[in-house]
Amino acid sequence: MTAAAAEIENGLGTLAGTGKILRFQLRRSRLFLFWWIAGIAGFTWMVVPVITEQYQTEAERAGFAATMSSPAMLSMSGPVEYVHAYAESVGALFSHRMLLWTCAMTAVMFVLLVTRLTRADEETSRSEVIRSLPIGRRADLASALLVSVGAAVVLGGLLALAATGLDGGDGASPLLFGAAHTAVGIVFAGLTAIAAQLSENASTSTGYGLAALGASVLFAGAGNAEGNWATWLSPVGWSQLTYVYTPQERWWPLLVSLAVAVGSVLVAFAMVSRRDFGQGMMAARRGRATAKPGLKSATALTFRLTRGLIWTGVITLVLLGMAYGSVLGGADDFADGLSAAQKEILDRGGSDLKASFATTFISINAIVAALFGVLVVGRGRKEETVGRGELVAAAPVTRGGWPGSYLPAALFTATATNLVGGLGLAASGASGDGDLFGKIAIGTLVQLPAIWVLIAFVFAAFAWLPRAGWLRWLAWTWTLLVVYFGALLDLPEWAMAISPFDHLGNYPAEDFSAAALVVLTVIAAALAAFGHLGLRRRNLSFN
Amino acid sequence: MNAVIRTENLVKRFGHVTALDHLNLEVAQGETHGFLGPNGAGKSTTIRVLLGMLRSDEGRAELFGADPWKDAAELHRRLAYVPGDVALWPGLTGGETIDLLGRLRGGVDKGKRDELLERFDLDPRKKGRSYSKGNRQKVALVAAFAADVDLLLLDEPTSGLDPLMGAVFNECVKEAAAQGRTVLLSSHIMSEVEALCERVSIIRKGVIVETGSLAEMRHLSRSRLRATLKNPVRGLEDHEGVHDLVADGLDIDCTVDASALDDVLAQLAVAGVAGLTCEPPSLEQIFMRFYGDELAASGVHEGNGK
Repeated sequence: MTAAAAEIENGLGTLAGTGKILRFQLRRSRLFLFWWIAGIAGFTWMVVPVITEQYQTEAERAGFAATMSSPAMLSMSGPVEYVHAYAESVGALFSHRMLLWTCAMTAVMFVLLVTRLTRADEETSRSEVIRSLPIGRRADLASALLVSVGAAVVLGGLLALAATGLDGGDGASPLLFGAAHTAVGIVFAGLTAIAAQLSENASTSTGYGLAALGASVLFAGAGNAEGNWATWLSPVGWSQLTYVYTPQERWWPLLVSLAVAVGSVLVAFAMVSRRDFGQGMMAARRGRATAKPGLKSATALTFRLTRGLIWTGVITLVLLGMAYGSVLGGADDFADGLSAAQKEILDRGGSDLKASFATTFISINAIVAALFGVLVVGRGRKEETVGRGELVAAAPVTRGGWPGSYLPAALFTATATNLVGGLGLAASGASGDGDLFGKIAIGTLVQLPAIWVLIAFVFAAFAWLPRAGWLRWLAWTWTLLVVYFGALLDLPEWAMAISPFDHLGNYPAEDFSAAALVVLTVIAAALAAFGHLGLRRRNLSFN
Repeated sequence: MNAVIRTENLVKRFGHVTALDHLNLEVAQGETHGFLGPNGAGKSTTIRVLLGMLRSDEGRAELFGADPWKDAAELHRRLAYVPGDVALWPGLTGGETIDLLGRLRGGVDKGKRDELLERFDLDPRKKGRSYSKGNRQKVALVAAFAADVDLLLLDEPTSGLDPLMGAVFNECVKEAAAQGRTVLLSSHIMSEVEALCERVSIIRKGVIVETGSLAEMRHLSRSRLRATLKNPVRGLEDHEGVHDLVADGLDIDCTVDASALDDVLAQLAVAGVAGLTCEPPSLEQIFMRFYGDELAASGVHEGNGK
C-alpha cells in the first residue's frame, strides 16, 4: 500500500488540504469578517460610554432596576440576577440590556458565515473545482469551522476590550463578557454545520440556522421572564447565565456551549461522509409535472416564490405574540410585589401596567412583521441579480406586474404577520379580559400605516436605487433602533421622527392620533406610486 | 421590405462603456436571421433593448413597427425569448415553469408542450435547482417553441446542449421558419448559423460590420483555390486579386477575390491544369476576416483561407 493510499485509508485523507482551503476561505471572507466583527464590537464600544454616563449614580440604577424587573422587560433582556446587581454594578446593567441582542447578532453572523463557506459553495458548484484537487472531503467544512473559531475568538477579544471601561466587575469580567459571545459564535457555527448537511441549498441551511436562533431567543425570553429552566435550552441563555459583572459571576455555563459546539461539529463531520457531493441528507423530492391552475400571472408567481418567507413570518409572529402574551398574563402578580414608588416609575401616562406592557409588545411585533415585508422586497431584487426574472420580464407582463408585484406581496406579508402577532398576543395575554383584548387588537391595527410607510419606502428604494440594498437595511434598522434604544441612547427628537413608528402614539398606554394615521397612509401611498414610476423608468439588468 | 426588427443608430452605454455604438440591424418578416459575434460584442444588449428591458441612449429600435420600451408588454405577446444563461426558480419544476410562461402569454398548447418535452428528452418533474445548464436551456426552449408567436429571439440557445439536442433544436427552428415565424438567432457557432440562416449580421464592438445573405457574403469574399499545373505560370504573385500564394513546383495554393476568379482561371488554363479545387469561403472564414486583427493581437495567425 502506498503512503497516500494508507493516509486515505485511515481517514486523515478526508482532511487533506485543510490548510490551503483555510487561507483561501480567509481571503474570500475577509470583508464579511471585517464588517461583521467591526459592526458588533463597534456598536458595543459606542454604547458603553452612553450607558455609563446615563446611569452614573446608584440611585439612578436602582430606579432603572424597578422598571426592568418586570417579566415583560426580563423576557426582552436577561435573567433577573443581573437586575439585583444593577445598583452596585454598571456592568451588570449593561450586560443585562445588551447580551441578548449582541449574542443574537453574533449568532446571525456565524449562521451566514458557515453557510457561505460550505453549502453555498457546494450548491453553486464552486467547490466542485476544489474537490477535484487533492483536497479531502471534509477539508472545506473543517476549514470553515476553523475560520469560525478564529473569528469568534477575535470578536470575543474585541468585545472584552470594549467592555473594560465598565465598572462593577472584577478583572476577569470583561474576558467573560467577550467569551460569552465567542461561545454563542461557535455553537451557532456548529449548528449551522449540521444545517448545511441537511439541505441541498444554502437558503434552507441559513433558514435552519436562523430558526435555531429564533428558538434560542424565545426560550431565553420565556425562561428569563419566569426565572425557570427554559433559559437552559437556549445557547444565548447559556451566555446570559454566566451572570457576568454580577457578584454571582461564573464561567461554567460556557462549558455547556462548548460541549454542544463540539458535539454538533462531530455530527456534521459524520454526515459529510454519509452523503454524496452536492446532495443533502434529505433527498430532493420530485415535483409536479404541470403547474397548478392558479399559477398564471406574475403576481401569482411572486406570491408563490415568497410563500415560504410568508409562512416563516406568520409562525414567528404567532410564537412571538404568544410568548409575550404569557408574560402579559403574569403582569398583575408582578405589580402586586412592587412598592408604591416603583409603581410610580412604571406608571406611563396614568394608564395601568398591563396596558403599558401591551404597548411595548405591540410595537415589537410590528417591527418584526415589517422585517418580513422588507425581506420580500429583497427577494424581488434577488430575482433581478440572479437573472431569474428575465423569463418573466420577456413575457407579456408590465413593469407593474413584474417586478411591481413585490410591493403587494411585501405589504401583504407585513400586514398579515403583524395581525397574527397581535392575535397571538391578545389570545394568550388577554383571554377572559375583553377590554384588553380589544385594546390590543386596536393597537395592532394602529401599527399598520407605519409598517406600510416603511415597506413603501423600501420598495421605492428598490425601484430607483436598485443597487443600494443597504438602504433597505438602514431603513429597517433605524426603526428598530428608535424603538429599542431611542430613549436609552438619548437620540435627538428629529432623528426619532424619521421613523414612521415614532408618530403612532403609545396605544393602549396613551392615545393614538387618528390624523397621524391618515397622514402616514397617504405618505405610504405616495411612496408606492413613486416606486412604480421608478420601476417603469429604469433598466432591468439581469446577469 | 416588411421589417419585424429594425434599429437605427442604436446607442447604449453602461457608465463609460459603450455597449452599442450606432447599431443598425434589420430583420425581415419570416426570415431566420443569424446574429454573429463573440462574447461581449453586444448581442445580448441588443436583444435586451429589443425586449424593452434596457432603454437606449440614442437612436431608434422598432419591433413590429412599435417602440419596445413603451409597448414592451404588448409586444411580448407576439414573441418568445430564450436567454443565453437561463436561470430557473429553484423551487419550481420545469413543467411548472413551462406552464407559467405559457399562461402569461395567454395559454398553453398541451399537445405541443408534451411533444416538445418528448423531443428534447426533458423530465418536467425535476426542480429548477437540480437541472444542469443544458436542461435549464431546454426548459426555456420548450416554453419558447410551444408558444404561438410571430418572433423568436434566441440568444445563444444551444451553448449547453449536446450535439443530439443541437440537431433537435435545428429541426425546431426549421419548423418555425416553415410556419412563417421570424427568428433572430444569436450565436457564435458557425455551423448552426450556416445550416439555419438565410441572412446574417456580424456584430463587432457594438457595430454591425457586415450584413447580408450568406450567398452575397460568399460572393464578396475570397475563395480558396488549389491547382496542380502542367507548366509553370508566371505573374500570379503580382496579380492584385490573388493573396496568400504558396507555390511548390507545379502545385499552387492561394486565395482569390471573387472578382478576379475568371481572370486567374484564364491564366491557369493557358498553363494547362492537371487538377483543380476551388472552395467558397465558409462562414467561419468570413467571420474571421472581421476579427482578424483581434486574432493577430492575441497571437493567432489570421484564419482567412488557410
